[in-house]
Amino acid sequence: MIWVTWRQHRAQAFATLIGLCAIGAFLLITGPRIASAFRELQACPVFPGQDCSSLHEAFDRRFNSLQFVVPLFMVVPLLMGVFLGAPLIAREVEQGTHRLAWTQSVTRGRWAVAKISLVCAFTLLATGLFAWMVSRWSFPLVAASGTRFGFGVFDLRGIVPIAYALFAVALGTATGTLIRKTLPAMAITLGAFVAVRVVVELFLRPRYLATKTISYPFLQESPRSGFGDWVISSRVFDPTGRFSSPDGGITVNPSSLAQACPHISSDPLGPGKDQVGRCLTQLGVKLVDTYQPGSRYWLFQGIESAIFVALAAGLIGLTFWLIRRRIS
Amino acid sequence: MNTIALEASSLSRRYGGTWALQECSLSLPTARVVALVGPNGAGKTTLLHLATGLLQPTSGSIHVLGEVPGADPEILGRIGFVAQEMPLYRNFTVAEMLRFGEEMNRTWDRDLAVGRLEKLSIPSSQKVGTLSGGQRAQVSLAIALAKRPELLLLDEPLASLDPLARRDFLAALMESVAEHGVSVVLSSHLVADLERVCDHLVVLRNGHVAVDGDIVGLTRKHRLVSGPRHTGALAGVGEVIDRVDTDRQTVALVRTDGPIMDPTWDVRDVDLEEIVLGYLGGREGSSVAADPLLRTVPPAPSEVRS
Amino acid sequence: MIVFHIDSRSGIPPYLQIVQQVKHALRLGMIGPGDQLPTIKQVVADVAINPNTVLKAYRDLEREGLVEGRPGVGTFVLRRPDGPPPPLLAQLRRSLDRWLRSAFDAGLDHESIASLFETGLRDALSEEEETA
Repeated sequence: MIWVTWRQHRAQAFATLIGLCAIGAFLLITGPRIASAFRELQACPVFPGQDCSSLHEAFDRRFNSLQFVVPLFMVVPLLMGVFLGAPLIAREVEQGTHRLAWTQSVTRGRWAVAKISLVCAFTLLATGLFAWMVSRWSFPLVAASGTRFGFGVFDLRGIVPIAYALFAVALGTATGTLIRKTLPAMAITLGAFVAVRVVVELFLRPRYLATKTISYPFLQESPRSGFGDWVISSRVFDPTGRFSSPDGGITVNPSSLAQACPHISSDPLGPGKDQVGRCLTQLGVKLVDTYQPGSRYWLFQGIESAIFVALAAGLIGLTFWLIRRRIS
Repeated sequence: MNTIALEASSLSRRYGGTWALQECSLSLPTARVVALVGPNGAGKTTLLHLATGLLQPTSGSIHVLGEVPGADPEILGRIGFVAQEMPLYRNFTVAEMLRFGEEMNRTWDRDLAVGRLEKLSIPSSQKVGTLSGGQRAQVSLAIALAKRPELLLLDEPLASLDPLARRDFLAALMESVAEHGVSVVLSSHLVADLERVCDHLVVLRNGHVAVDGDIVGLTRKHRLVSGPRHTGALAGVGEVIDRVDTDRQTVALVRTDGPIMDPTWDVRDVDLEEIVLGYLGGREGSSVAADPLLRTVPPAPSEVRS
Repeated sequence: MIVFHIDSRSGIPPYLQIVQQVKHALRLGMIGPGDQLPTIKQVVADVAINPNTVLKAYRDLEREGLVEGRPGVGTFVLRRPDGPPPPLLAQLRRSLDRWLRSAFDAGLDHESIASLFETGLRDALSEEEETA
C-alpha cells in the first residue's frame, strides 16, 4: 500500500517538498549574512572603547524586517494539516473511491493504518527538516535578542513545530473523516487549529510550571538579564501609591515628584534621570517581573509537544473509530 | 466447493427511520449469472453493500461463499465488486489503476488485465478521467476480474453506458464467465439487456424479495392471460401475480404449473421484462399495490424457485 | 468460422436460435464434417449471451448426433443434418392443410391461428425439454 498512498498523494508531497525547498533557499541566502553580522557583533569590542551599542542598533535595524517572516513560518504546520490531513480520507469518501479501495483484499482498518502512518511519517520528516533549518537560521537573531522563549520564537524552534504539524494533520484527517467533504473539512481544520494553538499559547503555556518572580529597583536592569528568561509580565510595585498607572507602568509628573522627594534639585531643566531613579528607589518603588526561567526552555518544549502529540493521538484514534463504524 | 454464492437470512438494514431491506431471505447458487432487479430505492445497492462488507446488517445475517463478508482479507479477495458509477482514481493512468489492483490484492492475474484492455484498444498511459464511460466500465471490470474472484458483484454497471458499450461490457463479462466460471450478481433497473445474459432472477421491491428463481423456470411457469373483463377472482388460471382491468378487458400475469385450458382466455408467453413488471406492479392501472384482495403475497423462495 | 446472431425479440429462445443457425450453416455447406464450431468463449465474446445457453445448444446438437464435443479441444461437426424423408414431409404438410381448413371454418382469424400454433409449439417444446 505504500505505492498506492504515495501515488494518491504525490502531488501534495511534491508541493510540500517544493515549499520546503523555497523556504530552504530563502534561509540559505539570508542565513550567512545574519551569521556574519552576528559574529561581528560578538567580536565587539575589538579595541577598547569601541562603541558596540551602535553596532547592536545597526544589527537590529538591518534584520528587523525579518520578523515579518516569522508569522509566515508559523503557518507551515497549519498548511500541512489543511492540505495533507483534510483531504486524506474526505476526498476518498467524497468521490466514492473508498468503495473501490475497501473491496480489494485489504481491510479498511489496514488501509487506514497504512495511509495515516505514512502521512504522519512524512509530516514528521518534513517538519523535522523545517524546524531544524529555521532553528539554525534564527540562532543569531535569538542570541542577539537574548531569549528564545518568547511568542513566535518558541513556536518555531526546537521540537514543537513537529508536534504542531502532527496535530494539524491528525486534526485535518479526523475532521475530513467526520464531515466527509474536503473543502468544509479544510476550513474547519484551519479554524480549529488556530483556536487550539491560541488557547494553548496564551493560557496554558505560561502555566505549565509555577512562575517565579523577582523584584529589582526601578530604572535598573533585571539581575536576571542574560538568563534567557521568558518574562511574562513586568509590573511596577509602588508602596506610595502616587505613581503607578493603570497599565502597570508608571507616570511621573513634576508635582507628585516634588511632593514625594522634596530634596530633588529644582533645576530649571527638571530633575535628571538618575535623580528620579534614586528618589523612587528610596521610596521603595520596584519593578516586579513574573517569569519562567530560561533553563526551563526544553522542559516547556517537551510539555507543549506532549500536549499536541497527545491531542494528535486522540484524533487519530477517533479517525479509526469513525472509519470502522460509520462509513459505508 | 461451496454451492451457495450468497445466502441471506431475514436480512434487514435500516437507515435512520427507513428500512432499506426488510426480512430478505435468499439463496443464490454458484455458477449462475443472477439478475438483481428492482426500481431505484428497492434495496439493490444496500444488498450488494451488505454482501461486500461495506455495510453491516441491522438484523438477520448474510453469508457470501459461506463466510461473513468483510471480516477478513481472505473473503475480500474472493469477491470482486464494482460499485455504482464505477469509482476509479481519475488522475491515475490506466496502467497505474492496474498497479493499484496488483498492490491491493493477493492474487492478481496481470496478463488477464493487460490483455483484456489491449484487446479493447484502451491505451495504458491514458488518464482514467479522460476515458469514455464504456472504457471506464471495462477498466473497472478488468480490475475486478484480474483478482480472479469466485463471485463478482456489479452494482448497476450498465446504467450510464450507451448501447454499444453495454453490449461490449456484457460480452466481456460473459467471456469471463465462460473462461473462469465466476458467479455473477448483476443489478440493474433496466431489464431488457439481462434476459439473454442472466439465468437467475431476483426482484426486489420496497426492500423485500418479490421473486427469486431460475429464469427458464420462471418463463415456463408464467403466462400472460387476457380475456373479457372479469370482476372478482379469476378461476382456472393458476395464481394471479398482477392484474389490469379496463372497462372491457382483463389482463393478468399468472403463475401456473400446467397449461391453461379455459378457452375464454387468450394465453401468451411472457418474457423476463413482463415477469418483472408484473411482480413490481408497474403496469398502468395495475392493482398489485392497490387492492389487497388481488395482491399476491410475495412467494417464499422455495415456492417460486423451480 | 460461423458467426451467430441472436434476435431477442423473435420469441425463439436463444439456445434454439443457435441450434437452428448451426443446422442452417451445415445445410448450406458453410461448415462441414471435421470443422470446429466456435468455442463457447468465442461465441459469448461476440454475442453477449450466457455461456450456458451456448453449452445447451451444443449439447442439443450433440444429442442429435450432428456434432461431437472433445473435452479440452472443442466441439466438432460430425455430419450434416438429415431432412425428413420427402414422403413424410408431404404427409405432414397435408395434415397441416387439413387442420388449417378446420381452423378457418371454425371462424378463427389469422392471428388466432398463429397464436394457437405458437402456444402449442411452445408447450410441445417444453414438454420435449422436460423429457430430454
